Amino acid sequence: MTFSLNVENESPSRTILHLHGRLDAQTFNDFDLAMLDVLPRLPEESTVVLDLSELEYISSAGLRSIAKIRRTMRARNGHTLLLNPRPQVRKVFDIVKAVPVNEVFANAQELDAYLDRMQRQITGEEPTSDR
Amino acid sequence: MFLRSIASRLSLWVLAGSVLVLTVAGGLLFYRVSEQILEKAHGEATALANEAGNRIEQRLARVADTAQTLAVVVGTHPDGVDVTLRGALARNADLSGLAVAYVPAADNPPVSPFISRQDDGSLSWRDLRKDDNAYWDKNWFLAGLSCSQGCWQRHFYSQSRKREMINYSVAISTNGRPNGLINADVSLDWLSRMLKELGKPEGAYAFVLDESGAYLAHDNPALVGKHGQANLLQALASHQASRVRLAVAQNPQAQGKPVWVYFVPVEGTHWRFGLAMPESRIYAGVRQAFFQALLLGFISLLALAVVTLAVTRRILTPLGTLASRAEQVARGALTFALPTPRFPDEVGRLTQAFDRMRSELALHIAELTRNAKEQQRLASELDIAHQIQTALLPGEHYLDAHCENFELHALLRPARAVGGDLYSYFMLNERRFCVMVGDVSDKGIPAALFMARTITLAKALAPRARSPQHLLSMLNVELCRNNDSCMFVSLLCGMLDTASGELVMASAGHEPPLLCDADGVRLIELDTGAALGLDDEARYPPRTLRLRPGQTLLLYTDGITEATNTEQQFFGTERLLACMEHSSSRSAADLAAGLLAEVDRFAEGAGQADDITVLALNWHHALVDGSSLMLDLTIHASMDDVFDTLDRCDTSLRERDVSPAVRDDIRLVLEELMVNMVQHGHAGGADRKIELHMRLGDDAVSIELHHDGQPFDPLQAPIPPLTGDLADAEEVGGLGIHLVRAMASELSYSHDEHGNHLQLRFLHPARPEPDHDLQPER
Repeated sequence: MTFSLNVENESPSRTILHLHGRLDAQTFNDFDLAMLDVLPRLPEESTVVLDLSELEYISSAGLRSIAKIRRTMRARNGHTLLLNPRPQVRKVFDIVKAVPVNEVFANAQELDAYLDRMQRQITGEEPTSDR
Repeated sequence: MFLRSIASRLSLWVLAGSVLVLTVAGGLLFYRVSEQILEKAHGEATALANEAGNRIEQRLARVADTAQTLAVVVGTHPDGVDVTLRGALARNADLSGLAVAYVPAADNPPVSPFISRQDDGSLSWRDLRKDDNAYWDKNWFLAGLSCSQGCWQRHFYSQSRKREMINYSVAISTNGRPNGLINADVSLDWLSRMLKELGKPEGAYAFVLDESGAYLAHDNPALVGKHGQANLLQALASHQASRVRLAVAQNPQAQGKPVWVYFVPVEGTHWRFGLAMPESRIYAGVRQAFFQALLLGFISLLALAVVTLAVTRRILTPLGTLASRAEQVARGALTFALPTPRFPDEVGRLTQAFDRMRSELALHIAELTRNAKEQQRLASELDIAHQIQTALLPGEHYLDAHCENFELHALLRPARAVGGDLYSYFMLNERRFCVMVGDVSDKGIPAALFMARTITLAKALAPRARSPQHLLSMLNVELCRNNDSCMFVSLLCGMLDTASGELVMASAGHEPPLLCDADGVRLIELDTGAALGLDDEARYPPRTLRLRPGQTLLLYTDGITEATNTEQQFFGTERLLACMEHSSSRSAADLAAGLLAEVDRFAEGAGQADDITVLALNWHHALVDGSSLMLDLTIHASMDDVFDTLDRCDTSLRERDVSPAVRDDIRLVLEELMVNMVQHGHAGGADRKIELHMRLGDDAVSIELHHDGQPFDPLQAPIPPLTGDLADAEEVGGLGIHLVRAMASELSYSHDEHGNHLQLRFLHPARPEPDHDLQPER
């Protein structure tokens, strides 16, 4: 199997998706189907973290799947964050300017810091956009 | 040597001609004159004969007169006869004796006295009556009695006087009756003496014939008493003739030569006087005169010949000088003195004309020398122009050292020192190779200049040209500018992808190229635009083909197809195709050289009329970038096959130690392209194929993708709207293509009847280079 998905529900408002292998024209369909199972079950304003540390490779088909997740989450006022993409994957993201730079994190600490900051914003004031 | 001179020949011929004329004329004259001479000689001889005859007659007449007178005297006065006789003898010395003989009768005197002259001159007396022989019975006496008028008797030999005598007898009449006679004797010696005393020409002789034809007297005493020869007597018998020619004279004195005999009768006798004249004597004078005249003539003619020789020599002397001067002219010497013409005759005019010719010739030679120098200068300029033009052309052989994918051989041979044919080739960038062959209208220097303009412009414009058709258009616009002389150039331009063998060609009125491979030789038909330089709005439709390994593309100019042989036949496309078909070798060099040799064989003797250019491009399809072939696949256009292929590529690249980053780039690009082909490129056909060739070079991975689906140029796809967040748009298209363009180091696309062709290159500088230091330029 060139691609596998591991869904980890860290908290009700945060779901971590561990992507393994290659997300390409051959596998994006499986990924999309899996997301159809996962995403509707997530509550409003939850955050999906895509852990890309094990994602070896992504093509435009995979990008479209990720874009689809982001659109879905945005429609539910949620967030989609990318964690630790490998250089090759990062390069693809950079080329097509797939996601805002501040939503890609090199490691779990940065992500945690970001999430904490966001948490404070949520508690401290009205949540605005994800920007 | 002597006869080489015109003067000598002329004088010799004058001499010979004059001698001939003189001889003929002299002969004729001699013939005419000799008859007159003969007549004249006859006249003279006859006159001489008559005169001699007359003198004889006179002497004889005196004898006869004496006798007759005596007869009368004695008849009337018989007394004193002796005294009378003696007186008569004394008066006439011619008489040798006188006799008075009476018929013995009674009344006649009894004495018949006979007085004869003795040898000592004394006179003797004798009485005939007392002779032993009675005279009155003798014939002479009886005959004499009947001669009352007197007559000459026959000659006789006198016993008493021992000599031949003749006598004249006259009868003495008394009373009308003859009673005796007077007999006068004359010796024949006297007659002979008289003949001798005649004035005769030298060699002539005289004679007297009696009535019987015997010689009474003759200059030659031996003949006296003998009969004359028959033809003489015959002539005498016919009384008309007074002369006769005797072929052989009787007289031995004449030495057997012909003589003319002139004769006259001696009056009072029956004798004939004859004068014999040798014929040679008659002609001797005229002959001598004739020979003298001839001699004089010859001497005159000789003098004439000498004078002719001298005069002719004098006249022709300038000709001799001119002849030797002409020989000098032939050796190239033109400065010499010419004889001054004395008269304005032919020789004078010739001398003047020669002088003029000499000076004109000198002028001509000077002009020729100038022209030759000018020609030499032009030739050297042309030679330099040839070198410059040759320098405009790239080398004849090009082997792509970088990738050895193709080999090129070009041959250009101008018909003159410089020509209008051109070829050129150069790399446009690392992958694209531009090649062109052209032919400028006209030949020679104008064509060469236009060729230089074309080839320079082409090189300058080529880097800006996206395609051959684009290059031709730009070139056309440039060449149309200020082209008042309406020169034009046909040009075939091709741009070759050195990695893939894809060739895009465009033609501006040029001959279609040939493609040779194992299947044969064929013309590549392509639509051509107008020749460059004529219409600045001309368009040039492109034609794309992919060279297969082993194929050779042949470009040429019309110098090949329009080469003519001695029978004015064109080499033509048929022969061109046949020549290429039968060529044993497929290498570019052999094809080009073989074709040129074939054309030379064909046109042998006819000369090269037009510039000839052949350019052969042999596509080896060798290793890209000196690289090794990694994959060479043909798959169905299906998802499964595509991903299977992607895996194989990945594996293969990993085996070759290609860095993971490059591997992923390649995988991404290939996936995007091939998935695109599978999803969008089938064009309704179910069974589409994808070809993939992957090579690994020193610093790059080269990949070719071929797909027989509908045309799709990834380079022309629009850049997708990238907002920074893919989620902004509902569906973003063209991401894959955008990735492909970003990832591939190089990308090119073409389309032909076989479908879409993509060439990709991925640099992988991380690959270790073992001999890096040895090739610092890399």
